[in-house]
Amino acid sequence: MKKHTSVWHRLGLAVAVTFFAVPVALAQGAQPPIRIGSTLALTGPLASTSLVHKVVGEIYVEQLNKRGGLLGRQVEWIVKDDQSKPDLARTLYEQLVTSDKVDLLMGPYATGAILSAMGVAQRFNKVLVHHTFGIPSLAKYEMQFPAWSLGADPANTVPNTVLDALGALPKPPKTIAVVTSKFPSVHFMSLGAREVAKKRGLTEVLFLEWDFGNLDYGPIAARVKDARPDFVWVGAIGLEGTQLLEAMSKIDYAPPLHFYMYPAPGPMSKSPLAKNALSMTVFEEHPPFTNAAGAAEFISLYHVRAANARIPDTSVEVQAAASYTAWQILEAGVRGARSLDDKAIGAWIKANRIDTIQGRLRFDGPSNYGDDLMRVKQVQNGRWVTVWPKEYAAPGATLQVP
Amino acid sequence: MPALRLPAFYESFLYLVLHWIVLATSWNLLSGYSGYFSFGHGAFYGAGVYTTAVLAGKMDVPFAWTLPAAALLPALLGVALGAIVFRVRNVRGELFALLTLAVTFVLATIVLNTPIDGGPGVYLSAVAVPSLAPTASGSFYLMALALAVVTLAIAYAVTKMRLGVGLFAIHDDEDAAEVMGVPTYRYKLVAFGLSCGLAGLAGGIQALFVSYVTSNGTFNITVPLTVVLMSVLGGTRHWAGPAIGATVITILLYASTAADQAVAGKAVVGAILVGAVLFMPDGILGLAVARLRRMRAAASSIAQAPPAYATRLPATAAPRARTGEPLVVVRGLRKSFRGVRALDGVDLDVREGEILGVLGPNGSGKSTLINVVSGHYRADAGSIVFAGRELLHLRAHRIARAGIARTYQIPRPFAHMTVRDNVALTAMFGGEALDPGEARAQAGEWLAFTDLAARADALPGDLNLHQTKFLELARALASRPRLVLLDEVLSGLTPGEIDEAVELIRRIRARGTTIVLVEHVMRVVTALSDRIVVLDQGRVLAEGLADDVMSRREVAIAYLGTVHA
Repeated sequence: MKKHTSVWHRLGLAVAVTFFAVPVALAQGAQPPIRIGSTLALTGPLASTSLVHKVVGEIYVEQLNKRGGLLGRQVEWIVKDDQSKPDLARTLYEQLVTSDKVDLLMGPYATGAILSAMGVAQRFNKVLVHHTFGIPSLAKYEMQFPAWSLGADPANTVPNTVLDALGALPKPPKTIAVVTSKFPSVHFMSLGAREVAKKRGLTEVLFLEWDFGNLDYGPIAARVKDARPDFVWVGAIGLEGTQLLEAMSKIDYAPPLHFYMYPAPGPMSKSPLAKNALSMTVFEEHPPFTNAAGAAEFISLYHVRAANARIPDTSVEVQAAASYTAWQILEAGVRGARSLDDKAIGAWIKANRIDTIQGRLRFDGPSNYGDDLMRVKQVQNGRWVTVWPKEYAAPGATLQVP
Repeated sequence: MPALRLPAFYESFLYLVLHWIVLATSWNLLSGYSGYFSFGHGAFYGAGVYTTAVLAGKMDVPFAWTLPAAALLPALLGVALGAIVFRVRNVRGELFALLTLAVTFVLATIVLNTPIDGGPGVYLSAVAVPSLAPTASGSFYLMALALAVVTLAIAYAVTKMRLGVGLFAIHDDEDAAEVMGVPTYRYKLVAFGLSCGLAGLAGGIQALFVSYVTSNGTFNITVPLTVVLMSVLGGTRHWAGPAIGATVITILLYASTAADQAVAGKAVVGAILVGAVLFMPDGILGLAVARLRRMRAAASSIAQAPPAYATRLPATAAPRARTGEPLVVVRGLRKSFRGVRALDGVDLDVREGEILGVLGPNGSGKSTLINVVSGHYRADAGSIVFAGRELLHLRAHRIARAGIARTYQIPRPFAHMTVRDNVALTAMFGGEALDPGEARAQAGEWLAFTDLAARADALPGDLNLHQTKFLELARALASRPRLVLLDEVLSGLTPGEIDEAVELIRRIRARGTTIVLVEHVMRVVTALSDRIVVLDQGRVLAEGLADDVMSRREVAIAYLGTVHA
């Protein structure tokens, strides 16, 4: 009898589960996915870096859906190619909002496109989380949120971090040469470095600028050599830094201490001329960064997907980490607000701290920027390792000098 | 569009289409019409971008007030540049293209290294968008629409004006156009100024549309390459061609924005464009217009009766009196080419109403004389007085307007203009200076006079040599000149065709036109000429009646070498 009862209990339970669960499942299945729209420069001059963001976005959305999506709904990412054109980015974001009627927006890549997207987001009161926007002072919209934790005043804080690191050396630099590209997001940082160096008592022995796209670094290298600085601040982006190093090498000059703003990470770390070169980072593939929740899995997935997408450097560093962080912020905002309402999401993000693979971020500072989490990294043995602050240094790594 | 209340995206997309229509059409005003390919359109567009960006973004000038400056500054830049480079005869074709490209880099360097930008770019987020529509996108759309309508209206109007006809002639043969009376220098300047001004205006609006302006993003090769491609695809010789090309390319590029097909989509767009340019070198409208012209030409050749050769003079061509007074007085005319004296102190008179035959062995200076008198070459020294007016320092188009027309030894018709338009051009720019409508009407009469009416809608390349020579004559006559310079107009013709030409020349003279006839066919010269001048080594060897002159010993020596009998 007991056995009989048990069978009936089980059957009843099964019916009950079926009765309640099926409609819920059906209801979940019937619900359309949450659609997140963005553009990326998948063709045109910015395509190589944008591809990083595409790969990261695909990984994140896949992971998110495996976790059950958002608010019980699957997530669909609609990404369009803005062809590296800010005017097209603007139009595509308008299409995403007014025609495709996406639920949420994710930012594009590069300053011009981000500003275009920000204007659209502002007109339609949408939250815009963006990956690597380099000029915080231009971000005026109250519901834009930066995923790249460079702080509200990087022209001041970043050079200070670098000079703090150098100041801790047994023989700190006394003279500085600032040479810089006039690429907007680099240039203002270099101008900031001049001011910071002056305030900290370093003597500026050289200041030089070049137009972005310059190919002849010989004269610049010669001027740096002649100036004999203890430390060279190179406001370079992409391959500019490597090209300057090659020009220096041709005149038998190796800078004693040298820093590069936004180098193409792969080529610089592989160049034998870049030994001990310094740069900034918010994430590298070593502890303590890799201790962040989800970081190890992301790194592992990214290596495979980036290789499949034929990205030359498959390591996770600033771009990939900032991109992943952007998705983490958006997810946290939706979960925190328990809503797709942009105002609610924006308010929640602004009022809370969000754990990301870069660390714990806040958005309550000027232009929604929080702390400057930029760390100093250095090329050592053909790879980038974080060396400053010491608590973020790779295990066993210290700042190397010639 | 704003009234339809469609999603803002449609307005922005149409804004992009209209933006490129303005840029491509404005580029075409100079480069398509006149053939002066400019790769500097990005410079003038960029000048407009930065004019608005600086005035509105840095100096708080209301956006609408910046737009006249955004048009004016690039227009002045273009005119200033043109005023220099259009004076240099050698700066044509690829040299002009490279020079204008260099201007882009020069401007970019200036902008980047001065307070105009200085490096960080100019942000315009605080600049108010004019409220022309309920939404900002609607306002941009309306601004672009207005500018596109104005640009297309200008492009259309130019083709219907002397300016357009002159520019098309410059495209085909600038030197011949100048000699036919086209003020080539002025026309190129006007076209360049218009082109740059409209591009600047489009740039001014675009500055606010993108809201963040950087030197690198503005002054790049993308703008000129894109507008060239758009114009070539649509057809550069039609006012609407660039607009069609701009629409097609913008739609194609927009259609390939889906991320999954981004690269493949662009490859397909590229393949379509390569195919289109390969198989439609004159563009979409060029192909359509050519088909239409062939149909018209076929219809008109069927409709026309067999030639009633040179039956009558055009009604407007009343005969002139033959006064016999000197019409042209040439004194001490000299012209050298790298030390070789082609004309070495030529003195001669041409009397009103006469046919003056000019003879001489090869290299004697006959053609140089024609070229100098018509202004094709500038004389080194001497004097050419025509109807009491000194011509020596006049530009060729002013000489044509004064009443001198010429033919070329090797015909130089404007290859892309129909036979009728070739003739109408000289009626427009010659002594009569008719307006385009009248000129085309009168061209028909001159074509009938020269038995070319049936080929009026054909292109010169479709004519045989005989017809091409007669086209040269028709062009010369349509300007209603007082003096016609015929440079070996009979060379290459069959005896039968020569007889027809002789008859035609007689008829021309019958209406009182003075003719200078440079010719090798002796029987024609002696039959037609009232007087003969013989040139040898750039000097007048003999002058007088035909029989007189030809019997002189020095003339025989010049022609035949040493005389043994």
